[in-house]
Amino acid sequence: MADDKDVLRDVWFGRIPTCFTLYQDEITEREAEPFYLLLPRMSYLTLVTDKVKKHFLKVMKAEDIEEMWFDFEGTSLKWHYPIGLLFDLHASNTALPWSITVHFKNFPERDLLHCPSNSVIEAHFMSSIKEADALKHKSQVINDMQKKDHKQLWMGLQNVVLCSSDKFDQFWAMNRKLMEYPTEEGGFRYIPFRIYLTMSDRPFIQKLFRPISPDGHTHTLGDLLKEVYPVAIPNDDESKHYQVVIHGIEPLLETPLQWLSEHLSHPDNFLHISVIPAPSD
Amino acid sequence: MSDNAESPTETQKDEPSTPQQPTEDSGMADDKKKIDVLLKAVGDTPIMKTKKWSVEKGRTVQSLSQFISRFLKMEANEQLFIYVNQSFSPSPDQEVGVLFQCFGSDGKLVLHYCKSQAWG
Repeated sequence: MADDKDVLRDVWFGRIPTCFTLYQDEITEREAEPFYLLLPRMSYLTLVTDKVKKHFLKVMKAEDIEEMWFDFEGTSLKWHYPIGLLFDLHASNTALPWSITVHFKNFPERDLLHCPSNSVIEAHFMSSIKEADALKHKSQVINDMQKKDHKQLWMGLQNVVLCSSDKFDQFWAMNRKLMEYPTEEGGFRYIPFRIYLTMSDRPFIQKLFRPISPDGHTHTLGDLLKEVYPVAIPNDDESKHYQVVIHGIEPLLETPLQWLSEHLSHPDNFLHISVIPAPSD
Repeated sequence: MSDNAESPTETQKDEPSTPQQPTEDSGMADDKKKIDVLLKAVGDTPIMKTKKWSVEKGRTVQSLSQFISRFLKMEANEQLFIYVNQSFSPSPDQEVGVLFQCFGSDGKLVLHYCKSQAWG
């Protein structure tokens, strides 16, 4: 059961100060001022940037506008990754505000999925939740929910951009069901997680991993990494080469994985973990 | 993608008994480069004559979806929905190898495909 409400709230209300600048080669009628916005870590870029689009449309002609997309220092930002993950993965140790470049032309087909409407974001979000529940509960909990319950999860996410306690409660009224498990099991069947690496051509690591070992030993974040990406864990006498980041912090490797899954998952019920190079002092 | 009639005997383990040593650039060092996919039609969607395919691990769902659409000679404006476990639609950029690791059974990944939304 999810108890540490404070942690859930801190995660839910996480924000990243961002500066949006129009790409220099876009055609404008007047100079485009940068636009500043606090982005919710929990949401998706295309869900929360209508204001950004409106701002730049003011200085552009309609015929010069195609689908909006974003890059950070030359890396196209995938809208279907949570915003907090994008920041941790690409911009963790850079100065704030996060400087994102806005484009309206030359959509990078190879790097990005198209996002023609909010229903595409909703479908992607709900599919992620369903995939997570397939791993946690063999889909039993999500399948027992009604359509309106699914809608409540989506509405909750849409409202994460509002700094409102009601919306947090609206989301968690449903989400807490997805965080339950039979007491005798001690945890979920498998933990929904994805480990993202900056130095890899593979998108992420995702495997079956149990929160409790067959002999009853509680698995930790360190146990997970040892199993699927031991390079991330420094040897005793070595200095740290990598940072393992979730929601902008480095949880202790001794943290139980089940606890992390219940408290530090994104609204899509996945633990999105970034492994990035440690800054060299 | 090649047509493969034989089924491999790879056993699906939950946790490997010996930890695998990943290489930094390629992620996990797995024995096989291809996985078996079984395609099942939903509703009145046309059935593929060949249902079992051997697919490279790194192939994306989108790539597989385009392959099925071409095979079924679908129109350009027709959509194809792919489902895992008859419950969720994987992201188009998801790798089939990862889906196989997490949701494969009896040495294969079963994917349902449909011209309309089957499981929401």
